[in-house]
Amino acid sequence: MKGLFIICGLGIFAMLAEIFKGFGLKKILQPVVLLGIVVAFVLNILTEWNNPMSISYFNNMIVFDNFALAFSGVILATAFFWFVFANDYFENSSDVTDHFALVLFALVGALMLTAYKNMTTLFLGIEIMSIPLYVLAASRKNDVKSNEAGFKYLILGSFATGFLLFGIALVYGATGSFDIMVIRAKISAAQGGLPLFFHAGVIMMLVAMCFKVAAAPFHFWTPDVYQGSPTVITAFMSTIVKTAAFTAFIRLFLVGFGGISEKWEMVMAAIIALSLVIANVTAVSQGSVKRMLAYSSISHAAFMLMGVLAVQPGMSIPGILYYTLAYSVGSITAFSVLYNVSKDSGEGFEGFNGLGKRNPVMAFCMAVAMLSLAGIPVTAGFFAKYFIFATIMATSFKWLLVLAVLTSAIGVYYYFKVIIAMYFKPADKTEKVPVEMQVMLIMIITTLLTIAIGVVPGYVIDMLGNSH
Amino acid sequence: MIKLIGLVPLFPLIGFAINGFFGKKLGKKLSGGIAVLSIAASFVVSLLVFMELNGIANKSQVVNLFSWINSDTLSIPFSFLVDPLSSIFLMIITGIGLLIHIYSLGYMSHDEGFARFFTYLNLFVFFMLLLVLGNNYLVMFVGWEGVGLCSYLLIGFWFKNTEYNKAANKAFIMNRIGDLGFLLGIILIFFTYGTITYGDVFAKAHTGSETIITAIALLLFVGAMGKSAQIPLYTWLPDAMAGPTPVSALIHAATMVTAGIYMIVRSNIFYSSSEDASEIVAVVGAATALMAAIIGCVQTDIKKVLAYSTVSQLGLMFLALGVGAYSTAVFHVTTHAFFKALLFLGAGSVIHAMSGEQDIRKMGGLKKALPITYLTMGLATLAISGIFPFSGFFSKDEILAYAYEENKALWFVGSITSLLTAFYMFRMFFLTFHTSFRGTAEQKHHLHESPKSMTIPLIILAVLSVAGGLLGIPAAFHGSNWISTYLNPIIMHKNPSTLSHETEFLLMGIATAVALVAIYTAYNVYQKSNVLPAENEKDMRPFERFAFHKFKVDEFYAFTITRPLNMFSTALGKFFDNQLVDGFIEGIGVVVKWLSGVVRQLQTGNIGFYIFSMVLGIVAIIFWSILK
Repeated sequence: MKGLFIICGLGIFAMLAEIFKGFGLKKILQPVVLLGIVVAFVLNILTEWNNPMSISYFNNMIVFDNFALAFSGVILATAFFWFVFANDYFENSSDVTDHFALVLFALVGALMLTAYKNMTTLFLGIEIMSIPLYVLAASRKNDVKSNEAGFKYLILGSFATGFLLFGIALVYGATGSFDIMVIRAKISAAQGGLPLFFHAGVIMMLVAMCFKVAAAPFHFWTPDVYQGSPTVITAFMSTIVKTAAFTAFIRLFLVGFGGISEKWEMVMAAIIALSLVIANVTAVSQGSVKRMLAYSSISHAAFMLMGVLAVQPGMSIPGILYYTLAYSVGSITAFSVLYNVSKDSGEGFEGFNGLGKRNPVMAFCMAVAMLSLAGIPVTAGFFAKYFIFATIMATSFKWLLVLAVLTSAIGVYYYFKVIIAMYFKPADKTEKVPVEMQVMLIMIITTLLTIAIGVVPGYVIDMLGNSH
Repeated sequence: MIKLIGLVPLFPLIGFAINGFFGKKLGKKLSGGIAVLSIAASFVVSLLVFMELNGIANKSQVVNLFSWINSDTLSIPFSFLVDPLSSIFLMIITGIGLLIHIYSLGYMSHDEGFARFFTYLNLFVFFMLLLVLGNNYLVMFVGWEGVGLCSYLLIGFWFKNTEYNKAANKAFIMNRIGDLGFLLGIILIFFTYGTITYGDVFAKAHTGSETIITAIALLLFVGAMGKSAQIPLYTWLPDAMAGPTPVSALIHAATMVTAGIYMIVRSNIFYSSSEDASEIVAVVGAATALMAAIIGCVQTDIKKVLAYSTVSQLGLMFLALGVGAYSTAVFHVTTHAFFKALLFLGAGSVIHAMSGEQDIRKMGGLKKALPITYLTMGLATLAISGIFPFSGFFSKDEILAYAYEENKALWFVGSITSLLTAFYMFRMFFLTFHTSFRGTAEQKHHLHESPKSMTIPLIILAVLSVAGGLLGIPAAFHGSNWISTYLNPIIMHKNPSTLSHETEFLLMGIATAVALVAIYTAYNVYQKSNVLPAENEKDMRPFERFAFHKFKVDEFYAFTITRPLNMFSTALGKFFDNQLVDGFIEGIGVVVKWLSGVVRQLQTGNIGFYIFSMVLGIVAIIFWSILK
């Protein structure tokens, strides 16, 4: 909770910096934000981890238990990396501080989503996170595509919000409460005797959440919005936003609606299957790496949903957490490389041609990120998939496992296209691709992390193990 | 200090990382300094650990570092085991490793791949330490594969030479065959006992049926054959001499090639529970020892002589393992590490002085120009020949004594091997250092003793080669045989010698006499009569030629395995792979791409269509899940 307050404070500080331009606060904004994130991360761990006394706030509307803290940790760490590599996005735009404030408030929404215990805070979290994003997606004001992305995101997002609200209303109507724990208790007390419109409400919330994590057939906004938005915002959406929405998903369905899983698990399995196939198949024919990564994020959402499908409350959540960590770290590397390459030679695959010669370190980082996203051993992505597969093996959805393995094989094709371009295709230009020192450092750190958590998965799992 | 055992492999790893990333920028002085310092640091920690372990009663200390793999059915901690066996290997690896690192500073000083060399060398030490420190077979396997990789990289260190690359490939492939056996062994252990942690496996070992135990022992032995160059997987080791000489000393003499012995001593319970497996180990060891010794007698490349000598000595160690003398094998590993590292480093010093010449026919009379090398190598030659009271005498005689007790035929083969060893070692020694110089005038002009960084390690190793026997003075000499007592806790089924001291003295006498005869013969032929090994193959006697060609084993493998395999795979590749598999796979690719093009059409960019399809989806879901 202290972390949440600090990020709120940072957002307000960023707005003040815009109002009182004369004081030169803008210059120190980035270091202050980075420092603030570190403090938030450390405070969360020091004061609240494994501490049952201080976790519940506002009549149980927000609860910072270990589950919330672990996912907040992943989000804050990703945000730290993100702010370093996105630095020049802020520098190049005219109204920096507004963007800082918007991103920080989106981050507040994301943190709320990890810790809500009430459907009102769920809704608030989703809206606090989404509304700044609509603006940010359209933040390249002179670019038609960016404007279109923001607009599409807003319209489709509002549509999904409508479903979420409708779903919440129906669930409230049937159970008489917004509190997740009360709903859970009602479900187990009713023993199947809940009215039909309760189930309709659950399904509607499922649909809305599927929209937020970008699962098929509610994924249509993803490629267009991801491609149109500025690359750093795309990176933000595909890592932090995805992790947050996913965390909300887990809590809602494993804790809230876990008691009637037989009502939603077939639907979810169908959504997963459809997402796997559509994402991986469509990614094959993309000519833009950014768009390919958008489809890749859909496929990874499907994998994380498999984690939800497979686990019972209290079991193997560290496995999903490991997945989000591996995915976030790998994506941040991929997007920061993409961002720097695209400034030099565009977002297409051919922009990566000969990167192995033009900037070997960056090419290596990208190669590791691609291997990790594809799930090749020694990188984090391998064990991430392995843990998910191991849990799904224990359920009746073994056919999903087969489908997931097959579509992963397709995934190898498009991830390796990047690697092949970098190392086996001649470059059009010979000069080095420039990268800022601090961004390079972040790439190297995230790359080493990707390898490190792939080499010692058990250690990471143990560290995260206390989170359920 | 034992709690800090993790530091021992950590230092070389840090050295590896620094040199790997920044080695070239640091310059030779700094990168070499970091490499040496990292090994020195782990040597100091190892020494402290070793002394602490000596002082405490519980000689089996498990240090858990972190949980490594952790899922429902499989839980493998990353933990280290500090016990007598691993602590001895720890001392050998870091101690000799340190000396060889220092030596390499001088030896590699002119090489442009200086930083790369130390990067690999540090990485090797790291993996070797993992291999001996791991508390379960998986950690050992990681180290096992890691040292194989480093060995491959270092054999092919001068990668511009195609022959060297081929040698590296050969070593790698032969080792892969062994590794497969080792891996299958580990899997069988896991399936039989449900764990791969040493303590648990050994505690449950007796529950396995005898067939299973024999199978495990033999599979592990296949792994040892590859790593420790035993028949039939030994041919890579002589070729591995393509690497820089310090590498031959460290990896292909003192440490990596003894990993197989380490592994069998570690798993000794499987071997002492299976007579069949032990017998096979003994026979393979004896055969390898003899065969390599014969080949060693006709080689003319100074490093090849030493390489075959290594194979032969490793054979003796396996002979010891096969007759149940586990601690004796470790004793011989230790003394062999001293004198064989010294011999290789001395050979390196000679090669250095001769500007790269390795043919002993072109050397001669080097004792004046290289006094320190001459003296130290002389001591090492005496040690390996088993002359009293040098270190080799004690360890080799202990092996022969155990062999005599177990099976007279094995003892006989071992004794013949000792005879041949003394002969070819002194043949090499006389041809190199005595008689008159046979090289070119230019080489003669350049002859020089090596720099201090090279001679000091030689001197230290010479002291160890002379005095190393003190580790295991047998009871017959009123000694306490420290090494055997020290290793006692890890040997599951003890096998104390029952020979009387008189028999033991008799055996020692025979061995010494045999060695002296061999030395005298070598002296007579090469020093007194000035005979040179034939320059031309035609001048060789038939058997000599056959041995010179290493009994044509390489050709035999090429004819029986490599060529048929190549032919088979070419045929398979042409038909099966190119036609069927490629057709099928490419077919899938084409279908997926086509499908991709079709599905892609859905992404119209039209918001109305997106909302429409979402609504369709929702309606379908609601109908399906609620109204069904």
